Amino acid sequence: MTVVLDAVSKSFGNVKVLHELSLEVQDGEFLVLLGASGSGKSTALRMIAGLETVSGGRISISGRDVTDQLPKNRDVAMVFQSYALYPHKTVAENIGYPLKIRRLNRTEIESQVRDVAAQVRIDELLERYPRELSGGQRQRVALARAMVRRPSVFLMDEPLSNLDAKLRGHMRAELKHMQHELGITTIYVTHDQIEAMTLAHRVALLEGGRLQQLAAPKTIYEDPENLFVAQFIGSPPMNVAHGRLDAGTFVIGEDRVATGGTETVANAVLGLRAEDCQVVAPEDGAIRAQLFANELIGDHTLVTAKIGDDMVSIKAPKEFEAGFDEAIGIAFETDKLYLFDKDTGARIRRS
Amino acid sequence: MNRSAMQWLFEPPSIRDMAPGTKLIVYAILTFWTAFVLFPIYWVLITSFKSAIDVNSGPVYLPFVDFQPSLHAWKELFVFDFWDTLSAYMNSLIIALSATAASVIIGSMASYALARFEYQPRFGVVFMFVLVMIGAFVAVGRYGVDWRISCAVGVAVFYFLARALGRHFKARLSNGDILFWMISQRILAPIVVVVPIYMMFQQVSLLDTHIAIILTYTVINLPIVIWLMYDFFTSIPIDLEECAQLDGATRFGVFWDIVLPLSRSGLAATTLLVMILSWNEYLLALFLSTSRAQTMPILVAAMNAGERGILWWSMSVVIIVMIIPVVILAIILQRYISKGLLLGAVKG
Repeated sequence: MTVVLDAVSKSFGNVKVLHELSLEVQDGEFLVLLGASGSGKSTALRMIAGLETVSGGRISISGRDVTDQLPKNRDVAMVFQSYALYPHKTVAENIGYPLKIRRLNRTEIESQVRDVAAQVRIDELLERYPRELSGGQRQRVALARAMVRRPSVFLMDEPLSNLDAKLRGHMRAELKHMQHELGITTIYVTHDQIEAMTLAHRVALLEGGRLQQLAAPKTIYEDPENLFVAQFIGSPPMNVAHGRLDAGTFVIGEDRVATGGTETVANAVLGLRAEDCQVVAPEDGAIRAQLFANELIGDHTLVTAKIGDDMVSIKAPKEFEAGFDEAIGIAFETDKLYLFDKDTGARIRRS
Repeated sequence: MNRSAMQWLFEPPSIRDMAPGTKLIVYAILTFWTAFVLFPIYWVLITSFKSAIDVNSGPVYLPFVDFQPSLHAWKELFVFDFWDTLSAYMNSLIIALSATAASVIIGSMASYALARFEYQPRFGVVFMFVLVMIGAFVAVGRYGVDWRISCAVGVAVFYFLARALGRHFKARLSNGDILFWMISQRILAPIVVVVPIYMMFQQVSLLDTHIAIILTYTVINLPIVIWLMYDFFTSIPIDLEECAQLDGATRFGVFWDIVLPLSRSGLAATTLLVMILSWNEYLLALFLSTSRAQTMPILVAAMNAGERGILWWSMSVVIIVMIIPVVILAIILQRYISKGLLLGAVKG
């Protein structure tokens, strides 16, 4: 089912935490709301759930305006970061609770609970209480409880952030598979950009209560709308070097880099992905830099270098070796570089 | 075994880990304390079987050894005065149970509302309401205006004043203020309010009825219930309630299915406390009942006002039968007073 947010905003007292957010989630889509803490992503999710009132704008689910509807009338299910399992109910009762409220008869509830429990592989745990479960098992129970009544929309508020790193990676894959299988529209909130990139059909990146970019993970990585998006997405984040743009030539210290454009901007930022750079001899590179540290990661070496006051990371082959403070050159292809206006953060697209 | 200095000073190790000598001393102290606590009950019990001579001619401690127990006091209360005793007992039961039920039900709902909803009444509006109501009372009391007219005019005046001026008041009260206002009702000594309460029930001809005492007990116990339950309700993670709402539960369903089961140890403790308070209440019952609605504490007091002097033996019998229901209730409720109910609800 589709979810449409039309210029939705939220204020707490005089503090505006969400500025006219508009987005449209397609039927069966996995949309991730990504942002740092305080970006308004959780507030947006809670407004869709009906747990927060809306200060302005409209929200509709499956074409029905639900802006002023109670949570129970929205047909959405939510998985909380804390799992929010009912501690006085067994796993079976926890999962069956939404059905019990809908007054299904007992045999019906039992069979549906067992089906869903089998799907998330907790069918041997049905008689236990939440306090007797591990973190991963609790997570599955919370998921099963959300799945059992086939809602129009799944809402997930950082569901994996309480799991340890190994389990998180595993659950991520399972979540993705399950969402694909059920085909239920899902809105997922996270601060983890890797989670966002791996799970989402589309990512909505929020900052300061404003939508920065809404695009597929590949697009958001390769074609960031502004400096914030470029630096938020990617690991390591996009390298930036500060300088000025003089009729299409980026001037940084004594180095001049032809960008293929013709713009002139006094305060400009040059962006480069770590994997698009090569470390070369100082005289061969487009930009000269000073080596700060190199770390062998395994399949590659991560080289950190200084361009003026800016630190940049470069992925070099694992055989790369160099001493501290050695002068190096950085080479890259012109069409791999990004240009931003430092004052507005906006992308400067080459004409 | 890494015990900090503070733990070493103030937290005893488990009694199982103690040396035999220490253990002996600990048990000796515990035994002494148990005897100390239980002795009054023992004393009341044997006194109920004593005759007047046994009581008056010096302390005697052991039945069949020191004195010959007799059932005369029991006979007197349960055979000769059977209907009086039964009536007082039933009055006490009806009043204490009804008042406890009413104050726990109303109080827990009120305190849940205070724990979960944010109230922000404007201070000026509340102040205005109090002023208008004082005006209405003065009109009734001083100038003989019919109370219905006075109240209607008061409400109307307040409504229009609040609509006209309400927006201009900036200061707001919060839930904390409301909570404090409620508990402040208990700060007043009951003796101060007993005369107004008496006159109020006299006006509506409810003196010496169950309903008058039940209402009074409910009102004086509400602040205690609200104050105690507030803490229990705020300790329930809000996620659980939000989750239940999304699962499709109504506001009342959330309260019934999630909040009440999770706060049942608090409810049990509060119920017990309120029950004991209403069961033992003396002062208000003394004023509000004369004969038909007399409760057990009044009966006890009556034992020491007769022309035959203080009837210790009869008093003891009444005290024994008075203790029984409270003990039963305590035994029933204590299994709900357990810890760790919220374990496993939320991570962290």
